[in-house]
Amino acid sequence: MKKIINKATILTVIFIAIGLVSSAQISKKKKAQKDTEAWKYEIECVGIGKPGTKVVKVWSYSKKANVAENQSKKNAVHGMVFQGYSGGGQGCTNQKALITDPSVGEQKKEFFDNFFDINGGKYMKFVSHSSDATPEIIKVSMKGYKYKVGVIVTVNTNALRKDLEAAGVVKGLSSGF
Amino acid sequence: MKKTFITLTLILTGFTLVFGQAKKPTLMVVPSDVWCNTNGYMMEFDNQGTKIKIPDYKRAMQENADLLLVIASINDMMAERGFPLKNMESAIKTLESNAAEDNMRMSKDGASVAENPIDMLKKVAKADIIIQMTWTVNQTGPKKAITFILQGLDAYTDKQIAGANGTGAPSFSAEVPVLLKEAVTAHIDNFTGSLQSHFEDMFANGREIIVRIQLWDGGEFDGDLETEMGPDDEELGTIIEDWMADNTVKGRFSTTDATETMMLFEQVRIDLYNAKGRAQDARRFVKGLSKVLKNEPYLIPNKVVMKGLGRATIILGGK
Repeated sequence: MKKIINKATILTVIFIAIGLVSSAQISKKKKAQKDTEAWKYEIECVGIGKPGTKVVKVWSYSKKANVAENQSKKNAVHGMVFQGYSGGGQGCTNQKALITDPSVGEQKKEFFDNFFDINGGKYMKFVSHSSDATPEIIKVSMKGYKYKVGVIVTVNTNALRKDLEAAGVVKGLSSGF
Repeated sequence: MKKTFITLTLILTGFTLVFGQAKKPTLMVVPSDVWCNTNGYMMEFDNQGTKIKIPDYKRAMQENADLLLVIASINDMMAERGFPLKNMESAIKTLESNAAEDNMRMSKDGASVAENPIDMLKKVAKADIIIQMTWTVNQTGPKKAITFILQGLDAYTDKQIAGANGTGAPSFSAEVPVLLKEAVTAHIDNFTGSLQSHFEDMFANGREIIVRIQLWDGGEFDGDLETEMGPDDEELGTIIEDWMADNTVKGRFSTTDATETMMLFEQVRIDLYNAKGRAQDARRFVKGLSKVLKNEPYLIPNKVVMKGLGRATIILGGK
């Protein structure tokens, strides 16, 4: 009888622990989703990647450092789509945004809401963390933000552009011919 | 009702497939004269006492592996964007083999293939847009860096319609081919970006072409471009200018030169499709003017000569 009670207690503790971890992750994701809605980030080029990719450092802002780190991939893809970057060291040249017309973001709001959804949005397919980079965390005193976290990521811009072309969001070079 | 709807849909789809696409320009990567000169790929001729240098593309292609690497990289990246380029080396080989075949070809009656001097002149590797490429290796001590220049040049208007350039990061260890590949990767996006802006402008404001009007010396037309004719007794040059104003996009063209024997129109913007919905180039556009001049009340026989998508000439006074 005692053994059965012990087993039941252990199982309950395990379930509660799993539940707490997953709810913490969900809440972290929710916070990341909420924070990224403001698209508060900076993007800079840190080197020439393989053909069709861009290696960028994204500085994301948040109240919590780990939330900002979670946002970095999403911000990187958003940066390549809407912002681009100016040139820099390491042979970087300036990069125009894939979407040059700012109104497209509003016109295709539903598409981009799904695309950048933190729970399985398609953006994840086009970005990966750089293996040799540890996040750089800087404390900031800004309204609504406590940390600025820099993460180096690689964005597969070729695949991203093709996907946006297929979705009719951007025009391909040969469209119309 | 359902059948009618399906038939209509099929007709519309067919119409779009046949007529819905503008004439696609051809692109070709060509090393610049500066690159050929710096790397010793030039041919020298003595033209009546003046030494003239022209690039020897064939030798450059045969001897320089770095050039092949850069051309292949650009070709790859453009093909990946749905815009495969003409390969210059292949174009030169095709021209040579065509010339050899034409020399040997004979009809059953023993006649050879007709070719006039202009046909011979036109036998060169050509494209509508030339991607001119230059690079230099900058060496400071053991450090090497590449300065890379890409220029998209319209073969007809001579305008630079796209471009990208810059100097890469210096490196102690990387070899030149690695740096070159990196330079192409770094610049191709900006290049295609500016090329895309050019195409968007073309779709919005029409294709930019050059139109020339000339006169056959001693042809069937007695007058010249200053001869007054037509119902309003206007000068022929003015009649042609009016036609241009009526048929260009928003009346956009510039009369660069006009004498009694020639006229040159630049920055002529033409619709990508004609009234029948067919894709239009300079030749088709100028055919309209040719017809007007050939018919009543002017009755001027004329010949239309074309050069690619963007340049056409009407020679008045005969075929």
